[in-house]
Amino acid sequence: MIELRHVTKRFGARLAVDDLTLRVPAGEVFGLLGHNGAGKSTAIGMMLGQVWPTAGEVRVCGCEVAADRQRALERVGAIFETPAFYDYLSGRRNLELLSHYTARTTPQRIREVIDWVGLTGRETGAVRTYSHGMRARLALAQALLPQPDLLILDEPGEGLDPEGIHELRHMILRLHRELGLTILLSSHLLNEVEQMCTRIAVLREGRKVFEGTLAEAKQTQDWVRMRVGDFGKAVKLLRAAGWLTDERDGQFVTLKDGVGTDQIVRHLVGQGMAVYEIAREEPTLEDFYLALMERSSRGGRPGDPGPPLATGAPSRETGGKEPA
Amino acid sequence: MIFWLQLRDELWKLFGKKRTYIGFVMFLLAQNLVSVLFRFTHASRPVARVLEGNGYLAQPFLSTLTIASIMLVPLAGLLLPLYVALVGGDLVAKEAEDGTLRMILSRPVTRLRLLLLKWLAGAVFSALLVGALGAFGLLFARVWFPWSNLFFWNPELGIFGVFDPGAGLRHYLAAHALLVTEAVSVMGLGFMLSCFNVKPAAATILALSFLFVNLVLQHIPYFQDYQNWFLTYHLNLWQFMFAPVVPWWKVGESFSVLFGFNLTFLVVGCTVFQVRDIKT
Repeated sequence: MIELRHVTKRFGARLAVDDLTLRVPAGEVFGLLGHNGAGKSTAIGMMLGQVWPTAGEVRVCGCEVAADRQRALERVGAIFETPAFYDYLSGRRNLELLSHYTARTTPQRIREVIDWVGLTGRETGAVRTYSHGMRARLALAQALLPQPDLLILDEPGEGLDPEGIHELRHMILRLHRELGLTILLSSHLLNEVEQMCTRIAVLREGRKVFEGTLAEAKQTQDWVRMRVGDFGKAVKLLRAAGWLTDERDGQFVTLKDGVGTDQIVRHLVGQGMAVYEIAREEPTLEDFYLALMERSSRGGRPGDPGPPLATGAPSRETGGKEPA
Repeated sequence: MIFWLQLRDELWKLFGKKRTYIGFVMFLLAQNLVSVLFRFTHASRPVARVLEGNGYLAQPFLSTLTIASIMLVPLAGLLLPLYVALVGGDLVAKEAEDGTLRMILSRPVTRLRLLLLKWLAGAVFSALLVGALGAFGLLFARVWFPWSNLFFWNPELGIFGVFDPGAGLRHYLAAHALLVTEAVSVMGLGFMLSCFNVKPAAATILALSFLFVNLVLQHIPYFQDYQNWFLTYHLNLWQFMFAPVVPWWKVGESFSVLFGFNLTFLVVGCTVFQVRDIKT
């Protein structure tokens, strides 16, 4: 649905996006992660033909954006971090104005969309009287009007309260589930991305440092949290049994393939050790992200394997090039 | 068909803003004030002296049409450029500043089409503002002065016109029709500057600065031979409509130059906007 091939963007001397290759397949909820200034909005700007790439090719819905922007964006809806409207006009008039840049839209369709986002009854009020949450819903409505196949959401939860974020998340997931839309979500709210996305890419200083499924991101050494009477002694016992490969933080161990936690418990209890808790550790996206950023900031190129991460998967990209 | 719908939408946006009406309100106030001052001070005496010095009876010429035309010259020279430059400077830069431009450009509309729509909306505004200027002038002058002959004098351009009421009204209307070219040209200048990555106020100020520099150069006597090069000289073409015999070749010349200026403004604006990155 979206394809970026070796895309570079410079603003004067500043390199905003560096040789970015990215593919968002149809039907995915794809998360674009990165800190402020990582190049996410610039990449999205290039997808929408608002920012011209210095080098490389951007294709949306099969069409090259630079050459045929109109066809590329025919079935695309977009929302930006702070949705801007004509505040002095009504919500309904705003929807009419914006949708006419795509095609003539029937009043029936506008009513449907207003109803879908839950703004019925407030659509005739001036947008300046809308709350932040209502503006977000209006932004979603304008994105849905052209009956898009692809939704591009650039920091859509920015400035919303927790309730608003929750509401927006459910709407987006409903869109994916009920209408089968492909969704590209740019965010630095890791919790949001974790709850919505099936696949992610991480940008750092304009370069892609990871691309893969959420499961791959979380794939890690199989850490097991172990609370015992004496952790040091337990580690010695398990090493002696040849079942341990690594340990950290006075409570985590990794076990050799085929070794189950039940064996560990039996062995330690048999040696007279008290075992209070033993459980496999589920890494979060935040663990993965922070470890990835830390490794990148230590100077490792995106393609370098780097030292083992506490949690998280190694970078899948090699030297900024798409894997063959 | 969708083009007209989009143009209607641009006009909705433009006329939905309160600041669009500043010009209309100011003309209303200014023309009212000037009419009252002409009626209740001795300001009409110099007009009478000029007429009598040229062998005319002054009384039939101290009329609605004469007072409306006298008001027209300074208002068209000073206030009209200010308000059309304000709207022209807003057309693109204000949308970029507010973030609505990014919302529009996430849709499959070409930048060229968007600019043409905006320029046309600006041109419609300019024409309406000129219409209001003419109508308010007649309306408020009529409150205090009789409907009678027209007298128009501009020594700088060498125009001395006296007309009966019917011919006077025709000349008055023709002058306003050509005044639209001045308004559209200044709006187009503001519009071109608005296409650059600047704040709306900067676009307006730059447009007015360009006009004032032209005006200064035009009024330095030593540059008399070069006045054809100054935009402001050609912006005065509407005043030739008050000449007893309209110098059509001069009108045509200025019209052609203004057409060239407008085309240049539009092409430069479109080119700059086309290559620009639109970011928050």
